[in-house]
Amino acid sequence: MLTRVKGGRVIDPANGRDGIADIWLRDGRIVDAPADSRPDETYDAAGKIVTAGAIDIHSHIAGSNVNTARLLLPELHRSTEARRARAPLSNAEWGTFQTGCRYATMGFTTVVEPAVAPNYALHAHLELADIPIIDKATLSVLGNDDYLLSLMRSGASASLVRDYVAWTLATSRALGIKVINAGGAAAFKCNVRQFSFDDVVPFYGVSSRAIVKTLQRAVHELGVPHPLHVHCNNLGLAGNAETALETIAAAEGLPLHLAHLQFYGYGKEGERGFSSAAARLAEAVNGAKSVTVDVGQVMFGQTVTISSDVLRQFNARAQASPKKWVIFDGDANGGGIVPYNYRSTDFYNAVQWCVGLELFLLIDDPARVFFTTDHPNGAPFTTYPEIFALLMDRDLRAQWIATLPPAAVAMTTLASIKREYSLNEIVTMTRAAPARLLGLRDRGHLGVGAVADIAVYANEADRAKMFRAASLVFKDGELVVRDGEVTRYRWGRALTVAPGHDRAIERRMQDYYSDRYGLSADVMTVPATAIGRPEPFEAVPCAR
Amino acid sequence: MSHAWIDGRPVALHAATAEAARLLAASRVPVVAGLGTDIAGARAAIALAERIGAAVDHMSSDAILRDVEVMRATGMMVTTPNEARLRADVLLLIGAGLVEAWPELPARLLVRPPMAHIDEKVPRRIIWLCAGGGPTKPSGHDEVQMVGRNCKDLPALLAALRARVAGRPVGKTSLSAKALDALAADLRAARFGVAVWSAAALDPLTIEMLCGLVADLNTTTRFTGLALAAADNALGVLQVCGWMTGFPMRTGFGRGFPEHDMWRFDAERLVESGEADCAVWISAYRAAAPAWNRPVPMIALTASNARFRQTPRVHIDVGRPGADHDAVEHCAATGTLVPAVATNPSRAVSVADVLAHIISALPSMGAGPC
Repeated sequence: MLTRVKGGRVIDPANGRDGIADIWLRDGRIVDAPADSRPDETYDAAGKIVTAGAIDIHSHIAGSNVNTARLLLPELHRSTEARRARAPLSNAEWGTFQTGCRYATMGFTTVVEPAVAPNYALHAHLELADIPIIDKATLSVLGNDDYLLSLMRSGASASLVRDYVAWTLATSRALGIKVINAGGAAAFKCNVRQFSFDDVVPFYGVSSRAIVKTLQRAVHELGVPHPLHVHCNNLGLAGNAETALETIAAAEGLPLHLAHLQFYGYGKEGERGFSSAAARLAEAVNGAKSVTVDVGQVMFGQTVTISSDVLRQFNARAQASPKKWVIFDGDANGGGIVPYNYRSTDFYNAVQWCVGLELFLLIDDPARVFFTTDHPNGAPFTTYPEIFALLMDRDLRAQWIATLPPAAVAMTTLASIKREYSLNEIVTMTRAAPARLLGLRDRGHLGVGAVADIAVYANEADRAKMFRAASLVFKDGELVVRDGEVTRYRWGRALTVAPGHDRAIERRMQDYYSDRYGLSADVMTVPATAIGRPEPFEAVPCAR
Repeated sequence: MSHAWIDGRPVALHAATAEAARLLAASRVPVVAGLGTDIAGARAAIALAERIGAAVDHMSSDAILRDVEVMRATGMMVTTPNEARLRADVLLLIGAGLVEAWPELPARLLVRPPMAHIDEKVPRRIIWLCAGGGPTKPSGHDEVQMVGRNCKDLPALLAALRARVAGRPVGKTSLSAKALDALAADLRAARFGVAVWSAAALDPLTIEMLCGLVADLNTTTRFTGLALAAADNALGVLQVCGWMTGFPMRTGFGRGFPEHDMWRFDAERLVESGEADCAVWISAYRAAAPAWNRPVPMIALTASNARFRQTPRVHIDVGRPGADHDAVEHCAATGTLVPAVATNPSRAVSVADVLAHIISALPSMGAGPC
């Protein structure tokens, strides 16, 4: 079937386009305007904005820790349920089905779940398979696992580490590797309560820095498109900008992605010893061209923090609101679930809100700063439309700032920042750049041959309204959303990489599982036939 | 040999699923119960319940919802069976029924594997508090120290222990003050202690006190918990319920969206009270029958040779997950969902297949949610 999206303003920064044009699609792909054939169907996009489907690189939408949060907080779900019709964006949507629908109505077509413990990969993929419409991907978490730390302790070769990383990617069906407070969870099991970049994990004798560097190198040398995705040490602590700066410096010219930088944007200035260090961080990011970051913007309201940084979550348990929390010592990272209510009247929360926006606005290149709330840690993903509006409108920011504690605003530079994002920059940040960061060559743009993932928006002055409910969304060329309502359910795929490994690692892993756990390493596998959907996976090519 | 029956008479599978669909479509308050099935079966069962407005419940809900209740009231600290096996220098076993809940417990937890490990130099203590009058201590595990074996006051003992760990005075318990203090000292001296319990044997307040004790111990050292899984893939079904509905089992779709209520959507209560007018009973791991007494039109999907008080309207023999067909299920040894390759592949139908047939035979209601 030949489909034409007619006469919209096509914003396609990956192909240097911004102007009125038609987009043609056939069999799930974007095609050249045919010379003679007539479209089977035409959608009028006159006066509207036509973009590729958006890509979220970091959103905790599935897996064991997310599911624990659901079970921990039935009241969040209940309150959302009752108010859904009138206030659809006020809270985290809780089940897998709503997750896919909510993302699709905002024009998102690919979302990455960034923290899957390899032994929970099958669980995560089963959940992802129940998220409709959108495509998904996972990042597998290494860096607190006994196998890697033991390899490093014994001075194993770089090629053995590469094989282990490649085996993990293939076995867990992931798109990339993440490290979360490298070594911190392993140290916490030995009752270490504070763990920084140059601290050493007891018993293994390796530093957090060494773990990050080892994994960064392995991922790079394997040709995995997405660089090592780093959740730094000391998340949330006053003065932790130093940790982020150390980590940025440690990139040493090789690709490195720092997740939710907002949570590391804190200095120790002021009466309360808590201030924004966003300007310094942004300067460092601007100067480190191999480094990319996502923001992890905070928005005010009730949410729940879900993190595999078990040490940080343990230390944050006193701030739980409501007062209950789960701390899970996993085989490697584990995790912590701590509900939290960000309040606009709270000094610290107000500083956090400002820090996130400062980072967005002070990092020059919209292709190196990515749009996230670290859902649901900074805010539910349903708040994205409000954040787009804040980035695009300094007057709107001023209105919000006026409602915050002046003492908090004074600890930041936000009020002085005039920059407004253009639509083109928003599209770069949410389409072109994430596709490039993840190595998805046929996504994030509208060139011929691209996957026909397309979002069409009414060009409203109220940007939040515009981004909340797309006029039209196509997934693989199929219309799935019209006027902000899901019109068709379909099942997406999970994107994977498999850079290949020496088969010897498979025998090594079987021996390891047998010796250590008395089990077969097959418990780690994610058989395609177990997912219960046709063609649940799609391979993404590696660079080499 | 037949595998499907209507009112006890052998029929073809498609006739049985068509009759099941007819019964469910005509039902006003259906319930999907038992739920002894693999992940695919649970996904299909919840999809069916959503479609027909039924409540979903699991035959082991009573036990596992005790743990869920404590978690969502106060939170908890937990770990994996693997970490308990490899890392624990103090294993605190609590209450009766642990080996019954997990027959491999002695082999998985009480024997430390010989490989080098981080804490190997630290001698390990295994303390079993209020083990009850069941089997004597597992043979070959002499290091298990039995404390208060036949105690009748486990909740009070745990409260007293928690108080002594925190240095507060306590009244009398069935343990001597000296024994209590020695136990408190052992727990405080743990480097990575793990408390092991089975909710089948404990009430929620006891579990809550135990979880509070574990949390308190983390003020100075590391201690965590291991709640043993219930049978019939209960924890696997709990996970599926969680991601599909946001709630554990005992969730109903009668009003068009999921609502969770432990009393209202208790399948046994729904049937015994006469509220439910049709029941789907699923027990694929074994030929279990429902506990309710009141007759209710029933569609039973069970392992073969199930016997019922009342003949089900529709009865279909299904394959055993992981034996007759490949499956995904919760694994007690890892605490995760794992693939289970069929040990004895057969042509027996799976719960998921049967439910898919039933769903497709339901009268069309337009585009369903996925």
